[in-house]
Amino acid sequence: MKHVIIGNGIAGVTASEAIRMLNGTADITMIGDEIFPPYSRPMISHVLDGSQPHDKLPIRSEHFYDDLKITPLLGQRARGIDVDNRQVELADGTRVDFDRLLIAAGADPRPTQAEGLDLKNIFYLRTQDHVKQQTTALAGARRAVVLGGGLVGFKAAYGLLKRGLSVTMLITSGYPLSMQVDATAGRMILNELVCHGLKVEVGVSVRAFEGNGTVRVAVTDTGTRLPCEIVIIGKGVLPARDFIPKDKIDADLGVLVDDHLQTSVPGIYAAGDVAESVDIARDCRWVNALWPEAAGQGRVAGLNMAGRPVAYPGSLSRNVMRVFGLDVLTVGNADPIEDAGYRVVRSSGADRHFYRRLVLKEDRLVGAVMINGIEQGGVLRALIENRTPIRLPPETLIAPGFNFGQLLY
Amino acid sequence: MKQVVVHPERCVGCMQCMLACATAHSRSLMLFAAVQETPQPKARIHVGAGCFNEGFPNRCRHCDPAPCQMACLAGAIYRSDSTGTVMINPDRCINCASCAMACPYGVIRFHEDPLGPAGHAIAVKCDNCSARVAKGQIPACVEICKAGALTYEEMDTAMRRKNRAVARSMSTDADPPVMPAGVALLKSIKQSELQLSGS
Amino acid sequence: MFDPGKSLSITQDGDRLIAKARQDGIETVWERHEAQQPQCGFCDMGLSCRICIMGPCRVDPFGEGPQTGVCGADADIIVARNLCRMIAAGAAAHSDHGRDLVEVLAGVADGTAVGYKIRDEAKLKRLAEEYGVATGDKNPLAISGELAQAMMEDYGMRRKAVKMVARAPKKRQEVWEKFTLTPRGIDRETSEMMHRTHMGVDNNWQSLLLQGLRNALSDGWGGSMIATEVSDILFGVPTPRPTMVNAGVLKEDQVNIVVHGHNPVVSEMVSKVCQSPDLIDLAKEKGAAGINLVGVCCTGNELLMRRGISMAGNHLMSELILSTGAVEMMIVDYQCIMPSLGKVAGSYHTRMVSTSDKAKFPHMEHHEFHPDNAEKKAVEVVRSAIENYVNRGKVFIPVAPQEAVGGFSVEAIVGALGGTPEPLIDAIKAGKIRGVVGIVGCNNPKIKHDYGHVTLTRRLIENDILVVDTGCVSVATAKAGFKVPAAADMAGPGLKEICNALGIPPVLHMGSCVDNVRILVLVAALANALGVDISDLPVAGSAPEWYSEKAVAIGTYFVASGVTTHLGPMPPITGSMNVVNLLTAGLEDVVGATFAVEPDPEKAAVFLRRHIEDKRKALGLDVRSV
Repeated sequence: MKHVIIGNGIAGVTASEAIRMLNGTADITMIGDEIFPPYSRPMISHVLDGSQPHDKLPIRSEHFYDDLKITPLLGQRARGIDVDNRQVELADGTRVDFDRLLIAAGADPRPTQAEGLDLKNIFYLRTQDHVKQQTTALAGARRAVVLGGGLVGFKAAYGLLKRGLSVTMLITSGYPLSMQVDATAGRMILNELVCHGLKVEVGVSVRAFEGNGTVRVAVTDTGTRLPCEIVIIGKGVLPARDFIPKDKIDADLGVLVDDHLQTSVPGIYAAGDVAESVDIARDCRWVNALWPEAAGQGRVAGLNMAGRPVAYPGSLSRNVMRVFGLDVLTVGNADPIEDAGYRVVRSSGADRHFYRRLVLKEDRLVGAVMINGIEQGGVLRALIENRTPIRLPPETLIAPGFNFGQLLY
Repeated sequence: MKQVVVHPERCVGCMQCMLACATAHSRSLMLFAAVQETPQPKARIHVGAGCFNEGFPNRCRHCDPAPCQMACLAGAIYRSDSTGTVMINPDRCINCASCAMACPYGVIRFHEDPLGPAGHAIAVKCDNCSARVAKGQIPACVEICKAGALTYEEMDTAMRRKNRAVARSMSTDADPPVMPAGVALLKSIKQSELQLSGS
Repeated sequence: MFDPGKSLSITQDGDRLIAKARQDGIETVWERHEAQQPQCGFCDMGLSCRICIMGPCRVDPFGEGPQTGVCGADADIIVARNLCRMIAAGAAAHSDHGRDLVEVLAGVADGTAVGYKIRDEAKLKRLAEEYGVATGDKNPLAISGELAQAMMEDYGMRRKAVKMVARAPKKRQEVWEKFTLTPRGIDRETSEMMHRTHMGVDNNWQSLLLQGLRNALSDGWGGSMIATEVSDILFGVPTPRPTMVNAGVLKEDQVNIVVHGHNPVVSEMVSKVCQSPDLIDLAKEKGAAGINLVGVCCTGNELLMRRGISMAGNHLMSELILSTGAVEMMIVDYQCIMPSLGKVAGSYHTRMVSTSDKAKFPHMEHHEFHPDNAEKKAVEVVRSAIENYVNRGKVFIPVAPQEAVGGFSVEAIVGALGGTPEPLIDAIKAGKIRGVVGIVGCNNPKIKHDYGHVTLTRRLIENDILVVDTGCVSVATAKAGFKVPAAADMAGPGLKEICNALGIPPVLHMGSCVDNVRILVLVAALANALGVDISDLPVAGSAPEWYSEKAVAIGTYFVASGVTTHLGPMPPITGSMNVVNLLTAGLEDVVGATFAVEPDPEKAAVFLRRHIEDKRKALGLDVRSV
């Protein structure tokens, strides 16, 4: 049995481990453009903010491929999939046979349009290589511009603030993380960042970057000139699915998978940031491009590929982050469109450092936001993920003393 | 292999396990000295209030597979091969709280710990008292529990005992499982009080 | 389990002020109660023992862990010792309060208690005669000196029995003699209780509990009774008078001074100086319309009973009253004063003043009142309260005040009946009034604030049972509107008829918690008039929301006096079913009365009605089925 895995991010890694766990002898080939040992992608923001050294990024041994008897084909991307002949075509023209294929190609930063993007010190924040260049560029940098207020933009801005830079963040909504949290939590996060020196420009975009080889100024569409020595473009990611033959393999924003993570083609699976599965909280197809999701999907895909049928319950958006003095945890559909049968329960009170918001649909919890006191967040996540009917008054779930024991009756 | 088995119906909510746990994870290993330590050792077992304000001892189940281990960004959470205990490597932990999101029981806390690196917070949870067990002692929470809510035994033994109790209660000529009269009385009074404490 | 959405008080002022306190970031008793959950089951069952340091010990209620303490005491002994120490503490609190009044009485006699005087010479003489003090045409000051000395002997060991035991019906005294329950000296019984519960003394749980009864009787017919009677001598016997209750008694345009605690010695003096024209002028100078003195808790009840001074709230309202932001000063003496109050006051301009050498609190100014300096001190603190008026911020007074009538001392009740208890006895015999229940005791965050008091009272009066109340209960029922003559409409037809005929409410305010002895005196008078024992009467006691050791002592002296008593919250005794069974059943054969525990006031009402009908049946009176 020849297993081929496109992508050596966390989905590819956990898939290969699952296959090897069930089958000691099957051929496993991994294709990936990063040659660095398997590492923790979310940790790159901890490297950017200076709390962790770059050399702590690897989360598997440098002998990972040898230890698991995997054939690595690194340093290049897949260029295409020949579904009929069950072959993967690489950038250099090599063709690799497969019996089972996993598409775990991940995602790429969403590009932006502006003049002067070729200047030095304008970065994306996606790979260990990006962060390595950024930490080098930090020397001598005092001012930064960050494009985007989503997860990537927020993490970039937070990291640079922690490094002591003066940061201007350009966002479209009135507050950062508008896809992850509701307005109340968003403003709490914004206040915390602003208290630590962040400047925010709402509703503007960058028209051009200027500089002499290296970026010096970002010019907005309103004509404002923002001096800067470093720019990070953090406008989110897009599934890396350009090489997928859409006439053969069903794809939408991502590659569509069934409840065993198999694509429309038998024997071809997809997992991680490139896969579009059913979102448990939203009850519709969704790409949850998140590392813990990718780790879980990779494992399930690997088990299925190795012949053990394991159902995948669906994906769930989730994020946990520390923002100076605020711990923020958000899960599921935390800020749905109103009047769509959702019920929202919020904590009240004047304490600006404690906030809870639950979103319910009928008797099920579908979303939650917590600010500080996040220890029970996993309990709420499990309630959403398992579609557990909530028998307690929802108010008790947001009380400070809520604990697992209360769910036992 | 022996492990800590929780019998929540026996918990009287005295929280002595929390004191014993914090002491067992201090530098001095003595209660009176431990409370003076900086950083303060903290309990890794948490007695919460259940629906009727009864005690509920909540501790790490050392799940297999462990969701916290799969979610750990830094690869700091691992399973000890010899004991099956899910452990957190304090030097690898980056205090990102991804494990808080993963843990369905809510048993992980984040703080500076006497047994961790100085000066910054890390994720902390039950380690099955591995240091005590290595010395031939039983886990501290079990040792101090005088109500039988925490036992240290083979899971099979505990299951067999429970099965027998259920089987006895279901056979036609057997008495129902006996809860001591005083315990039952207090329990019913407390439930009644709780209903009257507000509506 | 905490549900932040639920309402914690049945009162409108309570609920609104809880919301206000939360908004102001004030932590109250409810948050602290929540933070204590789960509460320790060993302690809740009475199975933990800290009496000696071979321990501390605890007994496993499930029967597998340790079954005795280090000394060998089993669950019965440990539970009994713990309960007995609660009785001792409660008896000590009331009796020490009484002692302070006896000292004032002695001070009035020798001229050192400046500003205090004998207000009721007739009562002084009645008491003196009971104590065997010759009165004749002696000067009242001389009588009070001798009476004070005689009462001091009640506290010691020179008597076979405390004097006022003689007020109990003969049959009751015989019961006490038979089971050696007659209290010999007030301090003696408490001391002996503490001695017996020391490691290695009394290890028979029955005899421990019997000493507990004797200790409680030394409070009921001793220390507390002295406290009430001497208060009446010094400050006057209460008579019915109108008053106002709830948080609405605070005035937006006046200097609000709140007295909180139990003993009238301080609050009476504060009330006196608040009338001073100089101080009223000062208040006006500061822009206030006047000085508004109000009470919280039992010292408030003392003032309400004798002066008609308004009552702002009971135990669970004490923190909330401060969150109105309208209180210039709270003056406290002792008992039931939450140590949190100083911190709560810190969020507002309120100044907190402690007055007793026995009771100091964090974040309070201490101005020690003694009988010889009380008047001077009262002027000082009231003056600084007035000066604090200008520091007032935003004020939130949540409701308009409720009218009520208080002041039903036994003398006043007999007076209302036309000088004799006969009309009441006739009404009971005729079945118009089925019986009398004394509802007493505290608030407890374990029960929704005032729910137990008000629900039980409503059910009893609806069923033609006259309710007399004291302490925190009396505030709850007054706020609920049961204490105006028109409330007779809420009573059953028989009780309504009697109330309307006499012009009294169906719920009679008999005073503070030491004034529970007024209920003893009342039931003794009824029993004597009928020629029966107290335990034969269609009467009962109830403490639906009790929390304190004093309440344990009160409940125990009620039961030991023959009054079956209902408790809302469970005392810490379930670790020993022997103790539970003795207190809830076995005592019937000893003192003709028992305890009953039932948190739900609806069910408690049924129990109490049944009990009363049973007693009526035994007396050969008509019986209703319940």
